[in-house]
Amino acid sequence: MGDILNRIYEMTAFQAIIDNPGFLVMYALAFVLLYLGIKKQYEPLLLIPIAFGVLIANFPGGGMDVISPDGAGLVHFDKDGQEVARNIYEMSLPEIAHDLGVMNFLYSALIKSGLLPPIIFMGVGALTDFGPMLRNLKLAIFGAGAQFGIFAVLLVAASTGYFSMQQSASLAIIGGADGPTAIFTTIKLAPELLGPIAIAAYSYMALVPVIVPLVVKLTCSKKELSINMKQQDKLYPSNTVIKNERALKIIFPIAVTTLVAIIVPSAVPLVGMLMFGNLIKEVGSSTSRIFDAASNAVMNSATIFLGLCVGATMTVDAFLNLQTIGIVAGGFLAFGFSIFGGIMLVKLFNLFSKKKINPLIGATGLSAVPMASRVANEIALKYDPRNHVLNYCMSSNVSGVIGSAVAAGILIAFLG
Amino acid sequence: MEDNLSFALMLMGVGLATVFTVLLLVIGFGNLLIKMVNKFAPEEEKPKQIASKPAAAAALVDGAVQQAINKAVEQLTGGKGRVEKIVKL
Repeated sequence: MGDILNRIYEMTAFQAIIDNPGFLVMYALAFVLLYLGIKKQYEPLLLIPIAFGVLIANFPGGGMDVISPDGAGLVHFDKDGQEVARNIYEMSLPEIAHDLGVMNFLYSALIKSGLLPPIIFMGVGALTDFGPMLRNLKLAIFGAGAQFGIFAVLLVAASTGYFSMQQSASLAIIGGADGPTAIFTTIKLAPELLGPIAIAAYSYMALVPVIVPLVVKLTCSKKELSINMKQQDKLYPSNTVIKNERALKIIFPIAVTTLVAIIVPSAVPLVGMLMFGNLIKEVGSSTSRIFDAASNAVMNSATIFLGLCVGATMTVDAFLNLQTIGIVAGGFLAFGFSIFGGIMLVKLFNLFSKKKINPLIGATGLSAVPMASRVANEIALKYDPRNHVLNYCMSSNVSGVIGSAVAAGILIAFLG
Repeated sequence: MEDNLSFALMLMGVGLATVFTVLLLVIGFGNLLIKMVNKFAPEEEKPKQIASKPAAAAALVDGAVQQAINKAVEQLTGGKGRVEKIVKL
């Protein structure tokens, strides 16, 4: 009887959890993320799958954790009661599924291969309207200023000596405020940091309503925030009139893809898929079926697997270390610097231009579409209830998506 | 570490310059596209013209109502469908 009870006890995860209390920290983290996703509605479509991935990956014996290879590419696992070490890069997908479990199979096939982020970008493209950007094309340049955070934090992280250049770049790309871009870059440059970087990226994106007002308050005056864009448009009207927006919206994604592909080919997986998704949206009824698939079924499926797999990389060993703290701090800095960079570029522009621009348009240069624009619009309305800046902000906001994808392409090209 | 720092500085310069260049080109290209589209395709393609008002329909409903019905059918069928007959039930 005692033997049976002993074997039942060994079957459970209790002893492993008692031996390594770090698991309890991971459960707490998973519960906090689930709370934020479910109750607070912070990026629920991604935080909930990620949080659940964290939870199921950290039950000892469950076999749902993504095993990180060591420096030589070796993974260690139990097979028929013996510890085996194999080079994961030489294992076929069926072998990975059989020996390491279904989550490692999904991770290798969908994440490590770099498949899912471009698929999600396709869905994002299908949900993006480039209309506001085309109507206020000049404002798109402020999307470039807001990439400052990426390169500033790359410099800071590299100077600490605590992160390698590849790791620094993966951490810095959080400043692009674009989850799929951050994940894509990290897969290519520092896959061992995927979990904490994805969590930091999505957490800060969810905190846009807190971070943007904070940086704006620290850097902008009341006078600047009261600049009424419509009044400025009346004072200095634009010469550009769009006579056929539909035709323009169809040609635009094709032209941008060609342009970016020639200048930064490594950004094509992201920008190309973003523009493809947008093209099938703009073509209209003749592609409505694939548009529907790209923006719903395909994107939603990709989001589920991306979230679960990213969560499953966050095991005790991979997460509970000083690097994670560095990533959390560095990610915040990157976000803050990006908003700051966009604002400063507007201020610089205002020094030389008669037509003044509200600095909030620079603040929204960091992707996070459309939440950053909505937040900026709310701030503008506080200073002037007639100053609706949403459409103007959307221009720099959407160009920020292109800007961060290009920045990612540059980092991958130089460090990959 | 100094090597890393100088490399990161170089990457910052190259990276920001490239992002600015790409977005400036996007703006330039966009303006060019707007001009070309305005010149070569200035009018939005109208969905196929609905056939001339059916006589029976004209007799049954006034112009505004018929126009609303035509618009609804156009929208629902993506411009492919057309109203041939309106019958009062």
